Amino acid sequence: MKAKYIIIASAMVLVALTQTSCEKVSPIGVLMAGTAVEDRVKMSELYYKEYLMDAQNNIIVQPDEGGGREYSFLVGGDSHVTTDPGRMDEMFDIGLENNDLLYCHLGDIADTKPEYYIVLDSLLREAKERYVNKYYVKNDLGRWSKKNDPYDEFGYDYNDIKFPFFPVVGNHDLTHNGWALWSNIFHSSFYEFDVICGYNENGGRIRDHFIFLDTASGTLGQRQVELIEEGLLDGENDYRYTFVFSHTNIFLPSHLQFASTFPREEAYFLLNQFDKWGVSAIFCGHVHKWDERFFNNVYYVTLDSMSERNSPDPGDYLVRVKVYDGGGYDIERVHMSYVAPKK
Amino acid sequence: MTKKIFTLLLMASAWFFMGWAQNSYIPYKTYDGEHKNELSGYVMGGNNVVAGRFGGLEASYTRHLTSRWHVGGDVQMQFGKQLFSIDVQGGYRLPVKYGNISFDGKIMYNYYHKYGFHEMAYNLSATWESAYVDFRIGESLVHYHKRDVIMGWGYTEPPLFTFGFGANIRHRNNPWNLGLFFRNYDDFYYENWNINWGIRWYAKVKEQWNLFGEFNIRPAGSMSQLASKYEGSVKLGLKYKW
Repeated sequence: MKAKYIIIASAMVLVALTQTSCEKVSPIGVLMAGTAVEDRVKMSELYYKEYLMDAQNNIIVQPDEGGGREYSFLVGGDSHVTTDPGRMDEMFDIGLENNDLLYCHLGDIADTKPEYYIVLDSLLREAKERYVNKYYVKNDLGRWSKKNDPYDEFGYDYNDIKFPFFPVVGNHDLTHNGWALWSNIFHSSFYEFDVICGYNENGGRIRDHFIFLDTASGTLGQRQVELIEEGLLDGENDYRYTFVFSHTNIFLPSHLQFASTFPREEAYFLLNQFDKWGVSAIFCGHVHKWDERFFNNVYYVTLDSMSERNSPDPGDYLVRVKVYDGGGYDIERVHMSYVAPKK
Repeated sequence: MTKKIFTLLLMASAWFFMGWAQNSYIPYKTYDGEHKNELSGYVMGGNNVVAGRFGGLEASYTRHLTSRWHVGGDVQMQFGKQLFSIDVQGGYRLPVKYGNISFDGKIMYNYYHKYGFHEMAYNLSATWESAYVDFRIGESLVHYHKRDVIMGWGYTEPPLFTFGFGANIRHRNNPWNLGLFFRNYDDFYYENWNINWGIRWYAKVKEQWNLFGEFNIRPAGSMSQLASKYEGSVKLGLKYKW
């Protein structure tokens, strides 16, 4: 008789789990195994091979007035954009003011509602407009030429100018079928490219490698593991520095973060893979808690959430990486001031 | 501040229940008060997202020193994952009105050859086991380092909260049983918030022989509400007691 009650109670709990959900939590997703990461990777693989695995996607650092090719990039994460994109907007303001070469985002860019993605899309369009107006000038042909490139006379069509914003996908980008919204804007959940900084003494290109992984589900999934093992993201293998971006973090800042990190084997697989790639630094988000540490000669940074809802007070929510012309790089925290207006 | 106090209280509760010995399969381990030795082993097989297909062998020995105290050890070899594990454990069983409360401890070493990692895990936990349900809480400390790094240079994770819950369809004294379980650990690993779950069963073959088994679904990303296929495995074992 008792067994019957247990079975009935278990069935009721299961039914309750399948029927309940709120905006950010899908209780059934705690236990049910899905194949969403495999679907994302299959789609992304096609897009990546067709459009992104191309030298044209590499970014060339133009020499400054002194001939040096220093550059910097901004990293932020977990912006959870809803109706107020203030912090994301501030990230672009900071980057444009400091002439950062590119922007990297660690996922959970917006909560999954169509209206939030419309806000995000508008914000990215405005940011691109500001970016183009700052670094390009309209030429006699009615096209846009780079201001710092004297040889760029022909210029670009506005739509062909790529705003250098590179996100990874996060778990909150995906709940409630958010992949349809995310992929509509960003297309591929994993990719890599090079930043080329002139030539070395032997005439070879000085390259820094940027790798973006799809870790939103807490696992790379079988196909992404296979692609990594096949060397898809390896690139040229003669890099000065390699930077990796992942939503899910490797190391727990403390025991208070109730978020899933990678399962055992996968954590060790990744740590081993970072070693093989010769990674310099890895940037993660997900747990909304700052953490930094060296492990096996690799620098791991986990960033706070830059969302005004999760981090309402001003704070150092961004990171800037400065890569110097003669080699060497620094990582510094960047302050954000935006505070959401009180309702 | 409130969070910190809550965490400290939680940790204090877990450490209060310290003791020795455990196996993931709680009903099967329940001591009948009559035998002194248990020898068991199982074969396993499954598929893991990172390692692909894997299989393995496990062996365990438990010695009941008294009706309350026991010690033991386990060893396993998994092919595919290229994983070798060994542990020692012990425990104290306190009979209470509704079942038993046991206080367990375990020291475990894992070598993940494929990825070149050595791992040490220490666990203390308390388990309440009744006729139909069992519940475990504890704390685990896990340290790991790369193969080519000097011992001691590595990473020690913050204490991991260990929890498990199981329910059986029949009273645990029956000669066969079937149940469900949810937990964030298995015989040879402790996770943070990746919750594995599945079906477990046992059946008495003869007086001293038992068959047992598990079907285990181990998703990744449980607490990200995106539990994704990570590992599925089956265990089939035999236990002899005398």
